[in-house]
Amino acid sequence: MIYRIRQDTTYRYAASVPFARHLLRLTPGSDDGQTVLSSVVTVTPAPYETGETVDFFGNRVIHVGIETPHLTMSVASTAEVRVESGTGCGRPPPEPDSTPAWEAVRDAALRAGPAPRSPVHQLFASRLVAPDPAIGAYAAASFPPGRPVLAGGMDLTARIHRDFAYDPAATDVTTPPAEAFALRRGVCQDFAHVMIAGLRALALPAAYVSGYLRTRPAPGHRRLEGADATHAWVALWCGPEAGWQGLDPTNAMRAGGEHIPLAFGRDYADAAPVDGVIVAAGGHFLSVQVDVACLDEASGSAGAAMPVGAPVEKA
Amino acid sequence: MEAASDAGGRLRGAGIDRLLACYRGRPGAYDEMLDAQGGIRPHWRALIQGLAALGDQAPARFAAADRYLRDSGVFYRAYDGPGPGERPWPLAHVPIVISAEDWAAIRAGALQRAQLLEAVLADAYGPGRLTERGLLPAAVIAGSPEFLRPLAGSMPPGGRHLGFYAIDLARAPDGRWWVVADRTQAPSGAGYALENRGALARALSDLHPALGIRRLGRFFDRFRDWLDAARADDDAGPCLLTPGGLNETYFEHAWLARQLGLRLVEGQDLTVRDHRLYLRTIAGLKPVGALWRRVDADFCDPLELNRNSRLGVPGLVQAVRHGQVVVANALGSGLAETPALPAFLPALAEAVTGQALLLPNVATWWCGQDDAMRFVLGEIDGPGNDKLSVAPAFGRRGDGPLAHGPVRLAKLDAAARTALRDAIAARGMDFIGQEMVTPATTPVWVDGRLEPRPFLLRVFVAATAGGWSVMPGGFALVGTGAGDQGDARAISIQRGARSADVWVLGDGHAESGLEPAAVPTVRTVAIRRTDGALPSRAADNLFWLARYLARAEATLRVVRALALRLTERQSGDAGLAAMLAAWGAAPPHLAPSAAAAQALFAIGQGTVPDLVQAARAAASVVRDRLPDDALSALDALDACLRPPAAMTIPAVTDGVVLDVAGRALRLIAAVNGFQVEIMNRRAGWHFLQLGHQIERAIAICRFVRQFGGKMGQDAAAPEPADPRQADPEALEVLLELAESWETYRSRYVPGPVRLPVLDLVLMDETNPRALAYAVSRIVGYAASLPAPGPEPGSSPVLAAAHRLADEARAIDPATVGADRLVGIENRLMQLSNAVSHSYFTLREPAAGNAAP
Repeated sequence: MIYRIRQDTTYRYAASVPFARHLLRLTPGSDDGQTVLSSVVTVTPAPYETGETVDFFGNRVIHVGIETPHLTMSVASTAEVRVESGTGCGRPPPEPDSTPAWEAVRDAALRAGPAPRSPVHQLFASRLVAPDPAIGAYAAASFPPGRPVLAGGMDLTARIHRDFAYDPAATDVTTPPAEAFALRRGVCQDFAHVMIAGLRALALPAAYVSGYLRTRPAPGHRRLEGADATHAWVALWCGPEAGWQGLDPTNAMRAGGEHIPLAFGRDYADAAPVDGVIVAAGGHFLSVQVDVACLDEASGSAGAAMPVGAPVEKA
Repeated sequence: MEAASDAGGRLRGAGIDRLLACYRGRPGAYDEMLDAQGGIRPHWRALIQGLAALGDQAPARFAAADRYLRDSGVFYRAYDGPGPGERPWPLAHVPIVISAEDWAAIRAGALQRAQLLEAVLADAYGPGRLTERGLLPAAVIAGSPEFLRPLAGSMPPGGRHLGFYAIDLARAPDGRWWVVADRTQAPSGAGYALENRGALARALSDLHPALGIRRLGRFFDRFRDWLDAARADDDAGPCLLTPGGLNETYFEHAWLARQLGLRLVEGQDLTVRDHRLYLRTIAGLKPVGALWRRVDADFCDPLELNRNSRLGVPGLVQAVRHGQVVVANALGSGLAETPALPAFLPALAEAVTGQALLLPNVATWWCGQDDAMRFVLGEIDGPGNDKLSVAPAFGRRGDGPLAHGPVRLAKLDAAARTALRDAIAARGMDFIGQEMVTPATTPVWVDGRLEPRPFLLRVFVAATAGGWSVMPGGFALVGTGAGDQGDARAISIQRGARSADVWVLGDGHAESGLEPAAVPTVRTVAIRRTDGALPSRAADNLFWLARYLARAEATLRVVRALALRLTERQSGDAGLAAMLAAWGAAPPHLAPSAAAAQALFAIGQGTVPDLVQAARAAASVVRDRLPDDALSALDALDACLRPPAAMTIPAVTDGVVLDVAGRALRLIAAVNGFQVEIMNRRAGWHFLQLGHQIERAIAICRFVRQFGGKMGQDAAAPEPADPRQADPEALEVLLELAESWETYRSRYVPGPVRLPVLDLVLMDETNPRALAYAVSRIVGYAASLPAPGPEPGSSPVLAAAHRLADEARAIDPATVGADRLVGIENRLMQLSNAVSHSYFTLREPAAGNAAP
């Protein structure tokens, strides 16, 4: 399945900004299940300095410096991406019950090596998400002794979707997971952070993934929550065989052909699409528009959604 | 000296007996001074004899040491108590004496450990072979918040992770030194060690030569040379990056910068362009090749590290990755402080250095390993091990059982044990078990006698061109003996510990020895008559220091003139109270007495204490550039602006106001005087004087507008004010405020007449209080500032100064009107803005985050 992605990100500032530096994580990477066919990022006003690096986790990061005084900064990013079915080298996504017991995964993760995508990096407190005992107690209900790890992860995904209300007014970009958990409300970032905090409390390795969802649902499918902006979900390490498996608590589904990852990290701070430092006298207003079009709808069933439980109507 | 040895080498004498009357080593702890039989160890004898010989002089000697520290501005900042405050540096007056043999062992162990931790860091940020070989679990690296992933895979410029490293040691009951903590992030204390040495030299100078104490200076020379190696041709020189004046050890930063000839900078002084680090100076950007950081690494770059930091330099990580700046210690070096790491160091030492650890760690168990976790859980369930504590493996306390820091198993009740056991069972990887060390004791002076107290020794290791060097001496923290005798880690300055000098005795080799060791001469340098470029922020603060101080002075003159009228002359307030209200120094419509007291003592915008506080804040940023005496006078000024004890502001009498205002004016004169006498006439001086004269000129204009007789509303108006209408009383006030009475009386015999008064305070270039004098100085200082930009010849500051001078010269005292004076004040403000824009403006951020 080939997607054409376009994202327009615009910052409007209350006062002229004489100087800014930004990191842009808006370029998808080629991965096991994903091939980037083309990708262009345009920044206005034109930066005096740009560079591209690959960060620790393998994400592509563009550095820009702007010294033209500006009231508006916009970033237009476009990409064409081929997404294979499921994840991992074209292999079909693993059956949940075929994955190892969660305790075995927990023990293996702690002994894993130092490679960037190793689960050891996703076990500990990160800048925004610490293992949280209260969320851990909530998560533990999905992991009775011996349960296959992906089955437990899917159950937790479905429970968060059931128990939490999607409510953009309830939280903001800085809301800590404990607060979103107490509110039982939030947006994709909050649900992902809550789920990561619960999994890490059980010593299971859980990562944060930012990316896109297709904005126009395939015929016969519902339109997904979070499709009009950058989305976020969770990757759970399911042992050396199955590796990282994407779980989307916002939509109660596994991340598959309709999820297009942009960046992978420990939490939002590692994967934020735009990060920056500016000289500013006032606040700013941000608008983001995302369009994800499927260029080969007819090419097969790769994009079929994989719900993790019976769809539940929310109040 | 009345002392003699008996057959057992035991010292005797009335003085010594008195000194040691109450001294008993603690059972189960090693004592530095006394051996197991109660005899004084040989390397302590000279010191103890010397102390005994001092007799009654000792308190005076120790007071001299304390005074030296106070006068040098050595403080630390305490975070407890009511508000953060500067506290005098707590010097323990008795040094700790270390024998040459003992020191040789410490030195060898410190060198080995520096080499070991350097190798561990290089491997963790590099190839990961130690992990591959099973010597160090990847999780111990990954779990540390100081494993800074943006730095992974890059070699630090300069080739070292550790430029400056410290080890905290405690001597165990068996006499061996144990490592209690490694300080690889940004260790403090080396500057205080130098200061302690300097202070104690005042108290015990007669003992120094006899003992042959090793000197500290060469150690700093070598480190400075290493930093200098990174210097480029046009380099601004090595900089010391400080978090700023509110940091607990800021005084040490300023002191070290001054002693080592480093530039003291904050994050906003620096900027990164094209992957290079630059210092913002009044003459443009100057490259920086080496940075000694006293800011924790995570706060050093808000772009790639902690986005909430306001202390760092956006882009610094990029500059480091491009190999463009040596940072000591390298960003990410804090990883080696990971509390779980010592569990693996014995095996790593064998693998890396081929030897067992020369200085053992305190025994550590990381509960991320099954055996270690079983052991610690067993101890928790066991009969009560009073030597074991449980601590966070990565320093994060979380909100679980370690929310308040490490816990001693022996002190836990059953419920706490259960909570700890459950937490370890769920995430053992977050916990370590650690054995506690009972620290050795050393003597402190208490009311003429010595008493034993537990202590920690901090040893410093610095990078040199060829390897490492160990500071031959150090810095010891001497505990209170209350609550810290069983656990070396509980000894800290914030908990009441004092710091002691550490005397390492020479072993007769070169560099060690018999030089009379007193105050270290830190550095011999080639003659230079320039200071390099002045950082913009320093210039900014010097400028504002002068402006605030001159404004405080003008306000004080008004207060004093008012108080004088209210007390001695009983002549009404002559509009002075209204002037204080107009300046914002006192609320409007107050009775004159109350207005004067408010302006002098109240905390609020525009009052004298407020202006002095602002001046002190500016001065604290440029501490390293101001004479110590000027700083002391400024502190005294601040201290004198308080109502007498037990008096509220409304209760203050006019007499008190008069007295305090007079004292405050004399202290301001002292501050200015020290600057004139001591500061060199470089760019910093020019900014200081420019600020001073601008503020003075503004004050004169305002004084004349208020007290210079009736002013025309428009200078160009056909009807000038009638010069004869000037009120002699007002002119008297004007002469007083402009400090020109003496001159006036010497020239003109009768009472004040408007025209000569105005001529004297506005036009007379020979009167240092006249507007014309201030303006001519302003033009001179503006002309001596460097060109602010790359384009030569176009200085907006000089242009503004010339416009000001033209207008000031055009004043005719006979016809001058309020508008013309307001016009001059506006020109002065424009000049001030031009200075800001040309030299201080930060074109780049230190703060502000574009959170999407």
